[in-house]
Amino acid sequence: MSAPDDDNKSSSHTQLASHFFSELLDSVIMDVASESHRIARLGLDRNLDDEEEELRLSAQARARLADPSNSEANSKYVVDIFGQTHPPVASEIFDCMNCGRSIVAGRFAPHLEKCMGKGRKARVKATRSSTAAAQNR
Amino acid sequence: MSTSLNPCKHLSDYKLRYGIKGFNSIQKWIKSSSPYSRSKTQMERSKSEIPRCGFCCGYEGRLYICLICSSMSCSLSSESNHALLHTQNQIGHEIAVDLQRSELYCFSCSDQVYDPDFDKAVMTEQVLGLGNGNLDGIVGRSNGKRKRLGFEGSDFKNLKRVVVVGGGELDHGRRISKSCFPVGLRGLNNLGNTCFMNSVLQALLHAPPFRNYFLGGRHDRDSCRKGSADRLCLSCDIDVVFSAVFSGDRAPYSPARFLYSWWRLSENLACYEQQDAHEFFMSVLDRIHEKEGKTRNTNKDNGDCHCVAHRAFSGLLRSDVTCTTCGFTSTTYDPCVDISLDFNTTVDHFAANKAQKSTETGVSTLTSCLDLFTRPEKLGSDQKLFCQNCQERHESVKQMSIRRLPLVLCLHVKRFEHSLARKASRKIDRHLQFPFSLDMTPYVSSSIVRKRFGNRIFAFEGDESEISTNFEVFAVITHSGMLESGHYMTYLRLNEQWYKCDDAWITEVDDEVVRASQIYLAFYVQKPNGHKTGEDNVSCHLRSSVSSDSFVSIAGCC
Repeated sequence: MSAPDDDNKSSSHTQLASHFFSELLDSVIMDVASESHRIARLGLDRNLDDEEEELRLSAQARARLADPSNSEANSKYVVDIFGQTHPPVASEIFDCMNCGRSIVAGRFAPHLEKCMGKGRKARVKATRSSTAAAQNR
Repeated sequence: MSTSLNPCKHLSDYKLRYGIKGFNSIQKWIKSSSPYSRSKTQMERSKSEIPRCGFCCGYEGRLYICLICSSMSCSLSSESNHALLHTQNQIGHEIAVDLQRSELYCFSCSDQVYDPDFDKAVMTEQVLGLGNGNLDGIVGRSNGKRKRLGFEGSDFKNLKRVVVVGGGELDHGRRISKSCFPVGLRGLNNLGNTCFMNSVLQALLHAPPFRNYFLGGRHDRDSCRKGSADRLCLSCDIDVVFSAVFSGDRAPYSPARFLYSWWRLSENLACYEQQDAHEFFMSVLDRIHEKEGKTRNTNKDNGDCHCVAHRAFSGLLRSDVTCTTCGFTSTTYDPCVDISLDFNTTVDHFAANKAQKSTETGVSTLTSCLDLFTRPEKLGSDQKLFCQNCQERHESVKQMSIRRLPLVLCLHVKRFEHSLARKASRKIDRHLQFPFSLDMTPYVSSSIVRKRFGNRIFAFEGDESEISTNFEVFAVITHSGMLESGHYMTYLRLNEQWYKCDDAWITEVDDEVVRASQIYLAFYVQKPNGHKTGEDNVSCHLRSSVSSDSFVSIAGCC
């Protein structure tokens, strides 16, 4: 049910709302333009080109390496740059500075842990108490 | 900040005739509000009446105040531009101020123009209007005394000696031939889940100030052993590692002694299991500081520690907490040896231009993480802080920035999420783009504060710093695999060639491999001013004066 009066009112309301909206929009646009103008004129964005270049190089790198024929992660090492090969477990042998025994490098850490008495039991205790402490905080 | 801002003819004419009188006369109308609000620098002539155009009494469109006669006029459209009309009626009245943003506008050039004195007038009014009163933390203090970072002539001489002993002729800028490998490149044996240690050691071995210190013989093992009662000194063991790795022997080295010492000094972390490389890194710096800090800081200079760990890695962070009601800002400073960055998975569409690029490619970037780190953060309503000015609790905004950059910048990407709610941790496997050359300018305190006040031309605190903000990456530590069972590796950049250091295996890799890798820790070193990115002018470094923070990429035949 729309009387002519209501129509006029609603259309003028609409007009008014539309008017306010454009004012606000203009103000926001001007805000952004003014801010960007200042940044550009004062040279605060001078690294844009460098940054874009870095992004481009990165994207390029990822694309090239995504290519399955280029799988770097799975390629096994044959020789290093000095022409050497190394076994999966480091084979150098030296004396433990705690107990004096001869130990294989690749197994030194687990040996040292027991040797220094910092065995798993001791560690578990510490974890429990530190977890409890964290919960109580 | 660019100082080559040339004013337009009209602005310079205005200044010649009127100086800063006009600026000062409109100063009183600047309505200052909290720095983080949108209407930061609105102008207001009367508190009771809305501003109106002198021609038409209208209040719509853009309002301008003439700098000479202070008359107000509006600019609605190209047809109705009373502000322009004013400049045509009154010859010479070309410069006006935009009421809403306190920006200068030249009606002859039809462009926004800039003037340092005007900005200064605006800034002064703004700051005084805030609850601050004083300009602490905002205005730069002229600090004539340049801080020397401790790398004096003797360092330089030692360095030269080391280079000669290293055995090679320096290659002046050219890529060295494949038959010659850089000194200090040596694999490290994995002693049983110790890749976290090996990866960090590789980075430390090539962090220029750190490397120069140890190779220059600055840590005297003999006097250290005699002087100390407990004979435990991680620096001594690090010195041993340096000697071994830079000896020229290329067979992988086992840092067993170092592991043993570190375990003896770090009770809580000593165990045979995979550890966090970042935690290990912090622990090593702590141990070095504990020992060295005591002997070297007998008279503390400004509270700065002179141990090698801090001289290389220590910077200063600034934290600003601003009351949203009155604008009063409370500033605190905290030293740091690294910056831990939250992963920025959300891309802000309204942030600076670079973010736009991220949205296009859909990639997270290291710089966006830095943006996140320095973004103003509205503290929750449950965290209302007491404002000294208002004398009551109000909501506040916190913002971080870097007051002083370290020589070596370690950026830690927080890939390991610990959820207390779910009592589980997970790893964020997402790729993070990172630049080889990093300009830290947007993240330093002076830039952040400047931006907060609308990028005005003003001497903000920190501007006077002579430290270069250009950084170049030299090492990245990557983590692959899962949270509990992963593998750390280091990529080292020596003489513009990247080397992959995977425990005992040292191999050459292309730039691309490094760019595509999943970084966890990134190490950047300050590039001295005047050296633009990419150019590794080794000979220039040697010839440069001792007073600059010079560090040399050592190249030599093996």
